[in-house]
Amino acid sequence: MRVTVDVKGEGTHEVDLEAPTYADLLAEVELSPHEVSVLVDGRPVPEDQPVETDHVTVLRLIKGG
Amino acid sequence: MECNRCDEEAVMHAAYSGAHLCESHFRESVERRVRRRVRRDDLVPGDASPEDPQTWVIGLSGGKDSVVLTKILHDTFAEDPRIELVGLTIHEGIEGYRDESLAACVDLTDDLGIRHEVVSYEEEFGVRMDDVVEDDPENMAACAYCGVFRRDLLSRYAEAFDADLLLTGHNLDDEAQTALMNFLEGDVAQIAKHFDASLGPLSEREKQEEFVPRAKPLRDVPEKEVALYAHLADLPAHITECPHSSEAYRGEIQQLLYDLEENHPGTRHSILSGYEELAGIVADQYAGDDERDDLQECVECGATTTRERCRKCALLESIHAV
Repeated sequence: MRVTVDVKGEGTHEVDLEAPTYADLLAEVELSPHEVSVLVDGRPVPEDQPVETDHVTVLRLIKGG
Repeated sequence: MECNRCDEEAVMHAAYSGAHLCESHFRESVERRVRRRVRRDDLVPGDASPEDPQTWVIGLSGGKDSVVLTKILHDTFAEDPRIELVGLTIHEGIEGYRDESLAACVDLTDDLGIRHEVVSYEEEFGVRMDDVVEDDPENMAACAYCGVFRRDLLSRYAEAFDADLLLTGHNLDDEAQTALMNFLEGDVAQIAKHFDASLGPLSEREKQEEFVPRAKPLRDVPEKEVALYAHLADLPAHITECPHSSEAYRGEIQQLLYDLEENHPGTRHSILSGYEELAGIVADQYAGDDERDDLQECVECGATTTRERCRKCALLESIHAV
């Protein structure tokens, strides 16, 4: 399936994978699930779950204060 | 995917525990970990009373970590007359960046109704980090100057506010990185100091009369979960990175930990729990055998230091000489 991965502040990627999880999408754009949150329609989703949408938003952690 | 504890939709998965949690169970789980750490570190002394309350100063930068820590401590102790919280924000003189996060601190402390104090490098030292970075007289990373100045102001003002405790929002990722860095640098004396300065239960630390004791009650919570908590609780956390941030070695360790955590979930937790146990053992070993006997007052500012003149005063002299 084809999914648009919108990494906020950095740009969008089109990812084409067979039955991916959200973690698989992150691996494709070289991000660790420990440094981002994945949102679908503004709600966070568990990264180990199968993708059920064609558009995800990825928020990077902000280091420090 | 349902929450493990109810039939709500899960918002997160913690690979290290296997848990899938909904918003309310996730928030509850973060709060429980912070409260458990407050208990385990003996942060509330047995003789604290409403007549003689404890003053806890929180280093409040306005970033997600200190904002989440402040919110949870407030919710925990709002009804407890034994604990009074004070938010302390330090303005480093970083155009744009700190102004915005200061606004987040003001919003939060207004909203929670807690005392908030702001001090700046400019007023205290006559320097602004934007200029320090520009001149860079010691040829160091920005964080090397900034850390010295920040620690000086945090401890000086904690002292001035008669604080019993100085709390900071270091999370699990921060502390696991520091643990690994100290280990990889072979710095056992530093590990012992880390225990006495902030990691050990208050009752087990070597007494350091010269300093307000520090504590890091957010250190059981992974950074990602702190961010998720701030997002879900809609807290006014500031969301840009410091423009001068440049800790290259820490960044390398962070990446290493992400990779390890991916293949071996729970690595950060086990690094820190083993490190804390070892730190307690080496702190005993080093007790009375360190630089503490050499502590003296800085000839210029009077701060407690192991040198004739403290590091902060030395840095300020070289900055002002430019």
